[in-house]
Amino acid sequence: MRLELGNIFIKDLQFGEATKVENGVLYVNKKELLEAVGGDHRLVSIEVDIAKPGEETRIMPVKDVIEPRVKVEGPGGIFPGFISKVDVVGSGKTHVLKGAAVVTAGKIVGFQEGIIDMSGTGADYTPFSKTNNLVLVCTPTEHLQQHEHEQAVRMVGLKAAAYIGEAGRNVNPDEVKIYETLPILEGIKKYPDLPKVAYVYMLQTQGLLHDTYVYGVDAKRIVPTLIYPTEVMDGAILSGNCVSACDKNPTYNHLNNPIIEDLYERHGKDYNFVGVIITNENVTLADKERSSNWTAKLAEFLGLDAVIISEEGFGNPDTDLMMNCKKISAKGIKTVLVTDEYAGRDGASQSLADADKTADAVVTAGNANEVIQLPSMKKVIGYLDPADTIAGGFDGSLRPDGSIMAELQVITGATSEIGFNKLSATEY
Amino acid sequence: MVKEIERAGIPVVHICTVVPISLTVGANRIVPAIAIPHPLGNPAVSKEDEKELRREIVLKAIKALETEVDGQTVFDK
Repeated sequence: MRLELGNIFIKDLQFGEATKVENGVLYVNKKELLEAVGGDHRLVSIEVDIAKPGEETRIMPVKDVIEPRVKVEGPGGIFPGFISKVDVVGSGKTHVLKGAAVVTAGKIVGFQEGIIDMSGTGADYTPFSKTNNLVLVCTPTEHLQQHEHEQAVRMVGLKAAAYIGEAGRNVNPDEVKIYETLPILEGIKKYPDLPKVAYVYMLQTQGLLHDTYVYGVDAKRIVPTLIYPTEVMDGAILSGNCVSACDKNPTYNHLNNPIIEDLYERHGKDYNFVGVIITNENVTLADKERSSNWTAKLAEFLGLDAVIISEEGFGNPDTDLMMNCKKISAKGIKTVLVTDEYAGRDGASQSLADADKTADAVVTAGNANEVIQLPSMKKVIGYLDPADTIAGGFDGSLRPDGSIMAELQVITGATSEIGFNKLSATEY
Repeated sequence: MVKEIERAGIPVVHICTVVPISLTVGANRIVPAIAIPHPLGNPAVSKEDEKELRREIVLKAIKALETEVDGQTVFDK
C-alpha cells in the first residue's frame, strides 16, 4: 500500500469570504463552517475562534486536536467510519494543511481535559502552541449525558477538519512525501538481510470517555489486528478520548504518529518496517491477557526480530504495556517501550504502576507529575474554572489573577507516549 | 497500604482487578476483582446475580485471610 502525502504549509489562519488556501494563508468562511458542523440538537451553540502561535491566549478545556486533511486520489475518504464510508484508506494521494489544526473546546465533558497556551511556559510544553488553531467552543444542552456530549463534540471536530481539509484539494503541495508498505511476503523478500521490525500501537480503550476508534469501531471491541501504517495517516484511527490530556493521543497525533514516520524513515536502510499491530487497553484482566497473548502471537506469526511498543495513558495500561513486553520478549523478539512517568512531584516515586525485567529498553516522554506555573493570559477561549478539578490540578490551582499552578499532566500533548513532543526525563 | 498494614503484623487480602500490579507491589493474598471501573460489582448482570457475585468475592477474601500462604498467592479458583 502506497500513500503520497502532499503537505501544504499553512503560515497563517484568518476568517474570510471564502474558505480557501492562498499563498500559505488559510481563510475560513465562518458561516459556511458552522453550517458544515452544526445541526446536532445536543449542542445549543458552537462558537468559532482563532488562536495563533505567540498570542497571549489560553484554550481550555481542550477535548481533541485534529489536522485538516483531504483525500485527493485513491479509494475512500478521510476519517472512514465517521466522516467517510468504510472504504480501505491509506493509498493514493492525501493533502495535508500542515500548520493548521482544529481544536475542540468548551464546557468540560469529563475531568481530564487539557490546556493549550499559545505563549509563555505552557506553550513550550505543548506541540499545539506551534499550530494555527481554529477553535470550536461547543456548549451542550442542559443535563446532556457525558458520553453524548463527548460524541457530539467529537463529530463537530471531525466535520470541521474535513470541511477545512477540502480547501487543500486543488492546491499544489509545498512538499510531497511517499510512504509504502508491501504485502508481508514481498516486503520480506525485498530486504532479506534487514531486521524485521513492527510497531505495536496500544490504543486507549478503558471506556467511560477513554475511547479510541478504528474505522468507526470502538477499539475495546477488537482483538489485536494488523493495519497498514498509511491507513493511520488517513484517519483510520481517531480519538474519542477525553482523558489524560498530557499522554493521550489526540487525533492529530494519530495522523502524524512519529514512531510510524521514523520507522518509515529508516525502512530499507536499517530495518525492514513490516507493519503495525494495533491493540487495546481494556478494563478486565481477561481482556488484558487475551490482547497481550494476541499481540505476541501476531509478532511471532510475522517472524519479527524486534518491536516498538507505545502506551497510551497511564496507571493500569502500564500492565498492558508490561504484558505485551513480557509475552513478546518470551518469543525471542526484542522490545523497546515508549511511555511516560508518574514519578511524583519530586520524581522519586516508582514511575509506572507495573514493571517487568524484560522491559530493559524504555523511552520516557517525561514526568507528568512535575509542577509547572502558567502565567495569566490576555485571552481565554473556553473556561478557566476547571483548572482546579482536571487531573493535575488541585484546590487553588487557578489563582485570582488567572495564572495556574498545576502538574504537567494538564497540558495537552505534553508527555506524548508516541513521542509527538520534545520532552523526556533524565536521572542526575 | 497492603504492605504497610502487613508490616504491622496484620494479614491483608488485596482484592484487585489487575493482579499483575498487585504482584508487582508485593501483596501476599490476592483475590481478583471484576473490572477496573467496577471492581466489586457488574452492571451488566441482574441485581440478584450481582449480589451473589459480591458475596462470592467477599467469602473468597475471608477464606484467603484464613489460609496460610508461603509467598504471593492468587486465589483465582
